[in-house]
Amino acid sequence: MIDDSKPIFQQIAERIEGDILDGVLPEEGQVPSTNEFAAFYRINPATAAKGVNLLVEKGLLYKRRGIGMFVAPGARETVLAKRQDQFYRQYVQPLHSEARKLGIGVEELTALIHRSAAEHEGTPAP
Amino acid sequence: MNVIETRGLTRRYKDQLALDDVNLDIAPNRIYGLLGRNGAGKTTLMSILTAQGFASSGEVRVFGGNPFENEQILSRLCFVRESQKYPDDFTIRNALDAASLFFPNWDAPLADRLLEDFQLPNPKKHRIKKLSRGQLSAVGVIIGLASRAELTFFDEPYLGLDAVARQLFYDRLLTDFADHPRTIILSSHLIDEVANLLEHVIVIDRGRIVMDDEVEAITGSAFAVAGKSTVVEEFVAGRPVLRREGLGALASVTVDAPLQAGDRERAESLGLELAPVSLQQLIIRRTLKANERFGSPAAADTNVEVAR
Amino acid sequence: MNRAWAVARMQMVNKWIYLGVPAIVLVASTGLALAILAVIPNDDGATRLAFSGQALMWYFLAIGVQSMMLAFPFSQAMSVSRRSFYLGTLGLYTALSMAVGVIYWLLGLAEQATDGWGVDGHIFALPWIAESPWFAQILLYFALTILLFMFGFWFATVYQRWRVLGLVASLTAFGLLILGGVAVATWTDSWPAVGAWFVQLTPLALTGWLLLAGVVLAAGSYGTLRRATP
Repeated sequence: MIDDSKPIFQQIAERIEGDILDGVLPEEGQVPSTNEFAAFYRINPATAAKGVNLLVEKGLLYKRRGIGMFVAPGARETVLAKRQDQFYRQYVQPLHSEARKLGIGVEELTALIHRSAAEHEGTPAP
Repeated sequence: MNVIETRGLTRRYKDQLALDDVNLDIAPNRIYGLLGRNGAGKTTLMSILTAQGFASSGEVRVFGGNPFENEQILSRLCFVRESQKYPDDFTIRNALDAASLFFPNWDAPLADRLLEDFQLPNPKKHRIKKLSRGQLSAVGVIIGLASRAELTFFDEPYLGLDAVARQLFYDRLLTDFADHPRTIILSSHLIDEVANLLEHVIVIDRGRIVMDDEVEAITGSAFAVAGKSTVVEEFVAGRPVLRREGLGALASVTVDAPLQAGDRERAESLGLELAPVSLQQLIIRRTLKANERFGSPAAADTNVEVAR
Repeated sequence: MNRAWAVARMQMVNKWIYLGVPAIVLVASTGLALAILAVIPNDDGATRLAFSGQALMWYFLAIGVQSMMLAFPFSQAMSVSRRSFYLGTLGLYTALSMAVGVIYWLLGLAEQATDGWGVDGHIFALPWIAESPWFAQILLYFALTILLFMFGFWFATVYQRWRVLGLVASLTAFGLLILGGVAVATWTDSWPAVGAWFVQLTPLALTGWLLLAGVVLAAGSYGTLRRATP
């Protein structure tokens, strides 16, 4: 579940973000405690807390004294915007530069995307 | 206040230095990893910290005082050694009953749950001297966990345990630690296996402390970069290189310095892959000669990295 | 003091070793001695001595060794100080030795009441001892038992601290001491004097000497144990 590709606390933060995006963790819904995260991912509780705090700093989670951690209103929107931006940098930009190397122009690339969409037709979006 | 403080701790056996000027400060309520190869001095250090052994020179303070013959301090700690001896003919139940007499926070229901988890044979009938290596380790682990001692040492607790039982130990340790925070010192030579559990790492080699830092700080202080070798070389120019590996036109270089601002963007635009270095890799590279084995063979990891 | 008491309880956790086996040793050795006496014809009705009573005392030497070699390392894992381990262990065995003394005295009374278990056997009420007052009998058996225990305990402590080398050295020293005593007695032609000294010895005086040796061993054990490692 946890790999070496990034610092662990960052992976925890990204997983929580993913759950917010998917609606597994709805806005105003309670987030598992850091101890529960630690036990689930088999990591040190301090590391889990660091991941959670990262999201508190970003305003995605907020603390209710004595009760626990909750998803902030508007968190899903923020995560979505961030992920869309990431999508552009992680997929679209490399896609474009790779296409250029192969001599594929922008129109041709657009056509390829349409073709891919057509091939996936009938398969419902996840 | 620190749970443990040592200054200039040295242990000499005839002509050999088992511990050499060890200075440590151990903070409360954290999980520490005491890592080092077999014979590096881990058990000697833990023995002295618990007053089971003696230093040749230097100072030890545990909970602010000298633990030697100090019942107030001793009753707050627990150290079951890897080669622990038990009274002859003691059954598992006898050992647990005895432990309940001495550890003020002893949790008998927890001990019973762990007995079932580790699937130990009938505790009332089975004698400890007839247990297998793994079962013996399990008894030590159960005493350590159920003691709930403020300062608990685990001395290579995985010896003889299979993968399932080891994972079980790590799980139980984490959940119980979360509910009852205390200072845990986990000695191990299997670094990768325990790396995620630890908050702080102390590496000992030939009696000397060679690394003493937070896990995040250690893993964040180096990174690996992989890609086309010419591009990689350009990227790492002027940086301290810990290790270089190549496969055809591809190269993977471990840099012994943290990532600088703008490095991620630059690597991305150059088509290079950045990755953190695993704790085990870093410890091996920094403290030990690369050709020496340290726990699970380093060679295996190297192959994986090259294959990427 | 609290934890010393816990050490005693820890040693009693396995009652088999500390109560069961001694009971078996006592019953078996006595039974065996009586069986042998019963098959040997005793036509003239003479008093017959059997020294099977010492079997239990030798067992105490064995548990003296065992309580040090195995119970001490375990007590260290239980975070017990060496002082508490020493007090608890010694306290327990002092009490058990005292129990042995009382049991031997009671068995001696029974022996005399049954004409030597019906076979004129003397196992517990040995002539020289049985003439003494009751407390002297109890004390003598106690002293013998605790001395053997201390003997085993002390040599095991030496091993625990200095390992094989220390054990060999102290056993050699002990042997040389005995030999030296014998040699001195021989050279100075003082064997008659030694014999006379033993003859005039009362059970109570012997008890005193045994206890003195026991105290010396006990003090030596504590000094050695202070720096012993599991």
